[in-house]
Amino acid sequence: MFLEIKNLKVKGNGQEILKGINLKIKKGECQALLGPNASGKSTLAQVIAGSPKYRVSQGKIIFRDKGITKLPPEKRTKLGIALSWQNPPAIKGVRLEKLLGKISNRKIENKKLDLDDNLLDRQVNLDFSGGEKKISELFQILSLNPQLVILDEIDSGLDIKRLEKFARLIKKELIDKKVALLLITHSGTILRFLKPQLTNVMLDGKIVCREKNYRKVLQVIKKYGYDKCKKCPLWAS
Amino acid sequence: MINVKNAHYGQVDHKVENIFEGKGIIILPSQQAWQKFSWTRKHFQKKPKEGYFIWVKKQPVFPLTTCITIASKKISQHLNNLLVIEKNIKAKANVVCNAAADNLCGLHQAQGKLILKDKASLEYNHFHQWGKKDLVNPDYQFILGKGSRLVYNYKNLAPPKNLQLKTSIYNNENASANLKFVINGLNSKINLKDTLFLKGKNSQGIVNLRLVGRQNSQIEAISEIFASAAAKGHLDCQGLLVSQDSVISLIPKLVCQNKKAQLTHEASIGKISEEELNYLRSRGLSEKEAINLIITGFLEIE
Repeated sequence: MFLEIKNLKVKGNGQEILKGINLKIKKGECQALLGPNASGKSTLAQVIAGSPKYRVSQGKIIFRDKGITKLPPEKRTKLGIALSWQNPPAIKGVRLEKLLGKISNRKIENKKLDLDDNLLDRQVNLDFSGGEKKISELFQILSLNPQLVILDEIDSGLDIKRLEKFARLIKKELIDKKVALLLITHSGTILRFLKPQLTNVMLDGKIVCREKNYRKVLQVIKKYGYDKCKKCPLWAS
Repeated sequence: MINVKNAHYGQVDHKVENIFEGKGIIILPSQQAWQKFSWTRKHFQKKPKEGYFIWVKKQPVFPLTTCITIASKKISQHLNNLLVIEKNIKAKANVVCNAAADNLCGLHQAQGKLILKDKASLEYNHFHQWGKKDLVNPDYQFILGKGSRLVYNYKNLAPPKNLQLKTSIYNNENASANLKFVINGLNSKINLKDTLFLKGKNSQGIVNLRLVGRQNSQIEAISEIFASAAAKGHLDCQGLLVSQDSVISLIPKLVCQNKKAQLTHEASIGKISEEELNYLRSRGLSEKEAINLIITGFLEIE
């Protein structure tokens, strides 16, 4: 298995946030993770990426047959894991171009993402609009040349035209190149463009549903909200 | 890169290595200027032993450069520098003071006076780079004539054991000063005192401090503005404390002696944000690389 998470329990600020997560992603597979606010989606993303902010109290994360539960974030990145942050912090005084120069493993053409020189010349994430943050995140992720990408709410703050463009790029640069993908989304908008092979639903720190047909999941959530997932026959075992 | 060989004024220990004068620019060792130009005596105050005199009489077409180096052990430099920019002239000066090695135990004491005549303009970039055991004590005065403009950038990324840096700026009518001090504290004791005197009507000044307390450093910065005319001044003092065994103290002081003057300040001392650190580490930078990048950004060094 490419990525395997076994019975993962995680604490943050003394509270249990993830309450026994099991998740498997194959090489080149695209999976989605849906859930309401504060269900633990971003925490899971941060924990896979190795954030020291959270403490793993139980369980394991295995990536390419290697236990990475205790690895620091930079080593996970070197192994090929890349996380696009939902709310990336500003790094004052550091221009985006300089950061890219330090982290890039491959050159990405600016025009692919409408990344203009003006944005490259600005301080990382400082006063970036929602859309600019997403462009910057995706550009950085592509530059890392990763093997597993977690996109945390990449579709929020983007208008439909730009979202379509992003989705096309994600398909071309990641999915078509057999990069495994975990799409974290609150609204599910991007799923229509990327058509994940498996859709997971997370509620209160647990994955409660796994379904191959993402349309079915989106329909249920749209019609009944996330509460319906608790009673749904698709309940994850 | 400026060094003693290519600078317009280059000095190693006590020896003047070279002087290149340009058209309309007089450069002399301070001792000779004292002899040759009697008017300089009131500015030097006492007969100088060493240091430079630069008199910019015509518009220069290149930046002026000086380099004063300590290259031998236990050298004590006592410099008296005088830089005069004549009326309406725009000049740029890149000034380097450094130690050639890390363990020379040198003393660099410098008294400097920089005079900008009416409507003159000067960008003065002052770079310091010292050894771990040096003692450094510069005391600079800037006299800004009517309508003159000063941009002063002091950068010290390799601090000495002890740095006492004193800077005074006197702004006359319509003069403006923009000062920035960037200091990276590392195994050093640093005392910084900058005082801006807004003496003339419509004069203005901004002082920016960016101070980093890395390992084993004690930094105290007193930053003052005195306004005796209808003028504007602002202090922006920011410290970043990186190491547990370091201390930064910032003391901004505003003294307003004119009811039409407007003085403001902001001061803060922070730590490295865990979130920023984690963000950069998630991009593959080690903890040390990420800290260095955050510090570089804080000091705005490109």
